Amino acid sequence: MSSLSAAFSLEALDTNPAIRDLIFAHLRENIDRMTSSASTTTPAKHAFETRVAEVKAPKSDINALILDYLMMEGYPKAAANFSKEAKLQSQHDPSIQARQKISQAIHTGNIEVAITALNELNPEILDKDPALHFYLLRLQLVELIRGTNGGNNIIPALEFATHQLGPRAVMSPEFLKDLELTMCLLIFPHESLDPQLAALLHPDLRRQTARQVNEAILMRTTSRREAAIRHLVKMRAWAESSARSKKKDLPDHIELGLNSGDDNDINLDKNSHDPMITT
Amino acid sequence: MARIQSPPILSRMRGARSYADQVAALRALKDEIVGHVQNKDKWVELNILESLIKILQSSYSSSRLGGKEVRGQFGQPRSLADEEEVRLQALQLLASLANGGPSFLGPIHAVGAIPAILSNIFPLEHPPQLVLTALRALSNIADAASLALNSDDALRSLADNLFVSRYLDALYTILSSDSTAVLVQEQKSLVASLVIRLCREGHHQNALANAGVLDALATMLAEFVVLRGEVVPGAEIIGEADGLADMIPNPAPRGANLALVLEAISTIIADSRFRACMLLCSPAIMAIFPSTEFSPPAKDTRTAWNALEMSGLSNLRAKNPSAVDYLLPIVPVTQPRSLSSQLAQFPPLGFSLSRESLAPTGQTGATRFSGWTSTRLDSASLNGDAEADDPESPLIPWLIHLVRSTSGLERAMAASVVASLFKAGFANPEREVALGVLVVPPLCQLIKDHDNYVDPATQNSAFVEPSMAADWAILERTPAVLARLVADSEFLQQAAFESGALKMVCKLLKDSYEPMSTQPAPRPWSPNPDRGADRGDNRVGPPGRLPIYAHKIKTRESALKLIAAMVTFKDEYRKALVEQEIVPYIVESLSPVPSKPKMGKEKPKPERATEPVEPAVENPAYGSNPNSVIIAACHVMRILGRSVSNLRTALEDHGVAMPVFKLLAHPDVEVQIAACGAVCNLVTEFSPMREALVDAGIVKILCEHAHSLNPGLRLNSMWALKHLVHAVDNNLKKQCLEELESGWLVQLICDDTEDEALHARVRMERRMSDVDDDDEDMDALAYEDGTRVWLWPAMYLPAPSLFASRRSQSQRMLKAEKKLVTLREAEFNPTRKARNDDLAIQEQGLNFIRNLIGPPTPSSMTEMVDYVFNELGQDRLFEILASKLRVKVLHPFARRYSSGRDSRVLHPQAKVIEAVIYILVHMAASIPRHRQLVIAQTELLKLLGGYFSSKDIDVRRALCHLLNNLVWLDDSTDNLACQQRAQELRKLGFLAKLEGLQQADSDLDIRERAKAAVWQLKVNH
Repeated sequence: MSSLSAAFSLEALDTNPAIRDLIFAHLRENIDRMTSSASTTTPAKHAFETRVAEVKAPKSDINALILDYLMMEGYPKAAANFSKEAKLQSQHDPSIQARQKISQAIHTGNIEVAITALNELNPEILDKDPALHFYLLRLQLVELIRGTNGGNNIIPALEFATHQLGPRAVMSPEFLKDLELTMCLLIFPHESLDPQLAALLHPDLRRQTARQVNEAILMRTTSRREAAIRHLVKMRAWAESSARSKKKDLPDHIELGLNSGDDNDINLDKNSHDPMITT
Repeated sequence: MARIQSPPILSRMRGARSYADQVAALRALKDEIVGHVQNKDKWVELNILESLIKILQSSYSSSRLGGKEVRGQFGQPRSLADEEEVRLQALQLLASLANGGPSFLGPIHAVGAIPAILSNIFPLEHPPQLVLTALRALSNIADAASLALNSDDALRSLADNLFVSRYLDALYTILSSDSTAVLVQEQKSLVASLVIRLCREGHHQNALANAGVLDALATMLAEFVVLRGEVVPGAEIIGEADGLADMIPNPAPRGANLALVLEAISTIIADSRFRACMLLCSPAIMAIFPSTEFSPPAKDTRTAWNALEMSGLSNLRAKNPSAVDYLLPIVPVTQPRSLSSQLAQFPPLGFSLSRESLAPTGQTGATRFSGWTSTRLDSASLNGDAEADDPESPLIPWLIHLVRSTSGLERAMAASVVASLFKAGFANPEREVALGVLVVPPLCQLIKDHDNYVDPATQNSAFVEPSMAADWAILERTPAVLARLVADSEFLQQAAFESGALKMVCKLLKDSYEPMSTQPAPRPWSPNPDRGADRGDNRVGPPGRLPIYAHKIKTRESALKLIAAMVTFKDEYRKALVEQEIVPYIVESLSPVPSKPKMGKEKPKPERATEPVEPAVENPAYGSNPNSVIIAACHVMRILGRSVSNLRTALEDHGVAMPVFKLLAHPDVEVQIAACGAVCNLVTEFSPMREALVDAGIVKILCEHAHSLNPGLRLNSMWALKHLVHAVDNNLKKQCLEELESGWLVQLICDDTEDEALHARVRMERRMSDVDDDDEDMDALAYEDGTRVWLWPAMYLPAPSLFASRRSQSQRMLKAEKKLVTLREAEFNPTRKARNDDLAIQEQGLNFIRNLIGPPTPSSMTEMVDYVFNELGQDRLFEILASKLRVKVLHPFARRYSSGRDSRVLHPQAKVIEAVIYILVHMAASIPRHRQLVIAQTELLKLLGGYFSSKDIDVRRALCHLLNNLVWLDDSTDNLACQQRAQELRKLGFLAKLEGLQQADSDLDIRERAKAAVWQLKVNH
């Protein structure tokens, strides 16, 4: 990853700075969530870092990585713009529009729409993955309960739980536990919830479900679960930990390297899953 | 998603005025049922299937009328016309209903869904989305069928529906599309996986090969070679020269699945030399892998080879290593090995497995362990040197390279293809060593790596995690692949043994008998429980098996195959096998409804077959064994029985006799054949089980089977009878002959039953189709079932390439076609097959007589000789024996119908000659009167005189035996007669011939025996 940062800091990308900043911010946020490294140690020039500085990644590779990220995460317009500006051949992924639509629907809590769209794209996905279907329906229940907020009319939520989730809960102890937990939301006021229950109402649950759905679709079409860059980040983490366990000479802390530059003014808004670029 | 009441959707759908209405209704319905098993149940009960089929049929016919303006945009997704959208939704619904599992199969078949779906798989007529969805529906139905209670039948009927020429053309078109669209890749994967799951029978394999599906798959494989950049250097230049350059494909597109392609290829070529050759000769494969010598630019690569050659560890020069060889590590070859030499070393006990090739190809090919050998040797002798010149295709080293450089299922399937090619004899003999060190150990490791713990939740679930499913697929397939690879090679068996394969496979078999949970799969809870009551007219069938069940049964079969294949040669391995305490598991595998394997001390009570057989009830914890498992277990028994010590200990202790005995009366003829094979060794002289089997009435059953119409069953039962009458008391011998009926025995050894039957059949067909009676070639070609002359699809099918016409001028293609025609002739000519069947049965019949009149005591022999003379007629017997030694012309008057190469002249087979001589040997070992009788058969003796120069060592040895016996002097009273006999023999010129053997025979044993005989002849002068 440090090579990536090197390439970035060298302004290797001669694309529209606005797009670039947005992409950086976006990458950073997503990747930070995966690696919980946030400390800031003072850099005492380490041998390792000088070696890192010498490595130059080809620009085309970096661009391809970014395009791959945009495609896999489901940003069709950004991908199209980016590939135009970076003069990359745009790849055709028939599912990208649908994936974006589905993700959006989930992020806005419109699960029914998401399920219909998913079935339209490929009905096999839900048919052959009961767990994914359960998570989606559970999220739908959460949204229904969120709608009741305080218990004015809990009948639709109860009906839904009985007909849609109840039959499935017996199939696996995990499902049962999840369902029970979700039903607790009906009982307790939403303002003072256990952390465990509060998590259900947190947007992270939507985000997580949206990611699961996106990955399931990707597995079907490309037999890859995630963007190559995520894979690289994981590989880096693995490499670092195995190097440390073997007591290799490393700096105490290696930056992920995406925070370089002075773009502190870009705030990492929580709602970043909305389309980044509106053109 | 609020719960929509059912009738509105239904009425909306039925009353739809426009396509758009219909689509909307169908979409709503789709959201209802996808992922909801209960809703699927409900809707099937509401007769939704019928409506769907109606939609498919009506909208399709209307689209037909609408013309075909959409044709030609093959492979590119496009927006659908309204009626196509309707059909797409209907197909999606069907696919989703099929996902509900085996219980939906009944209703799906009842409405005739299969033809309705199949009419949508034509890629030239339908948009790719529709084709894809239709294939998905088929695939889901196949998945459900494989979990059905009668999965074999369900899959077979599906295969019969799919593998007919119309649809095969569609499959070929799909596979040979050069579109890179993701949709098309998924279509291709689905077609390949359908082939893998459904193709189990020889005629389907042939149909797929002849429809060009094999070539299309081979092209896909070639695409992977191109993708990996491993095309032989210079292939393009060579291709330019002979017109194959255009056949070099593009690299494999994204989304193509290598493991599926390999497995589909391996499914099609398994068990046939001809089809294996079709793969090698497939234009794309020939184009990327021309056989040329290659000198690497870096000299040091070559140096290692040269060093090995200098020390005599490789014969490079003979091999001309291709470029691909340099991808493999160099393997020192200590001595050239070959399959045939090993078979020759095998003790001629008379039941080498190669005989099993006689078993008709009905069952799954892999149950025949070495069906290859006979065809191999046969055609090798047929084609002589012409074939030996053919250099090995670089595909073989490339596949070995692939085994080494891939993992998981790809590795197993690459090995599977290479195993087929190796067994078909298309690999260099030195490859055996390479396979032993480069392929067998990784395969064993593969099984070990994927033998993971299955948690209880998965055990009891209808849904299996993809990673677990991948593990299972590997565990189910790899042992069978390994089995095919090692079955005929002692060296490879050793390699597998040293990699721990035996222990591992025993564990697999034991695991497959771990009791399964007896609880039914969890059914979804229902919010209105009273619905269960009015399920009287529920049209949804019973739930099928759980995935774990299918997995265990498949693993069982695969493990048994590997066990049998590991122990064909070495007693040492048989011993190691028994030490694994595996016999109880094999015994249970003999039973259609196994129970808990009975370990060590808890010896099973001696069963009696006379006990009333209670209807077998399946024990849900152990499942029930399909015929394929039973047959595989019979093979293991047969091979274990080859060891006398096993017969007396392990097999006896575990009460093998009665389970096998029961199988003799199994309704399936293939099982009967396998059981007869297993019984062969249980009724031998050394077997403690013989008595029990005789008491149980085995004589009667075997004799009945000897009257069977099935040549395989006739053969194996005669084989068993032959062993049974060896060294028993005369009463039993007589009982056997009585039961068999002497007239039938004469027919068995005399007539060419199969050949006659075939001839009669052909004649009848000719009379039936009287249209062009004067077509002389008709009979010869009648077996080409339908297509008179076989056309190589690679040569004649319309290919996507524009330059297809150049194919037919390519020298390499022409040469390949010639080779394929020869191979096809060797493999599928029914005359040849019938003749081989007849000869094998005659040999057993003659050996049966030989054992009838054989030892134990001279007096009993005399009695039996007289008895046999009495029963069969003395003169007739001698006449039959003489006829077996003559060159025979079959159907002399029908010759004009047979083409020249299929000569109908039969030269006597060494094995038959040997059997005839030994009958005479036994007669001559009896009293002088019988010796005299033999001597009196001048004609017979004259014929025998011609075989002193036989190439077969056993024939020469038998002759020495015979002469020794003929001039044997019992006591002084026989003196004069003995001299007369010697006189007679000298007159026939036997002395000179014996002296010839004594001096010049290559074998010491023969020289010694000849010496003794010469001495006797001279003494009695």
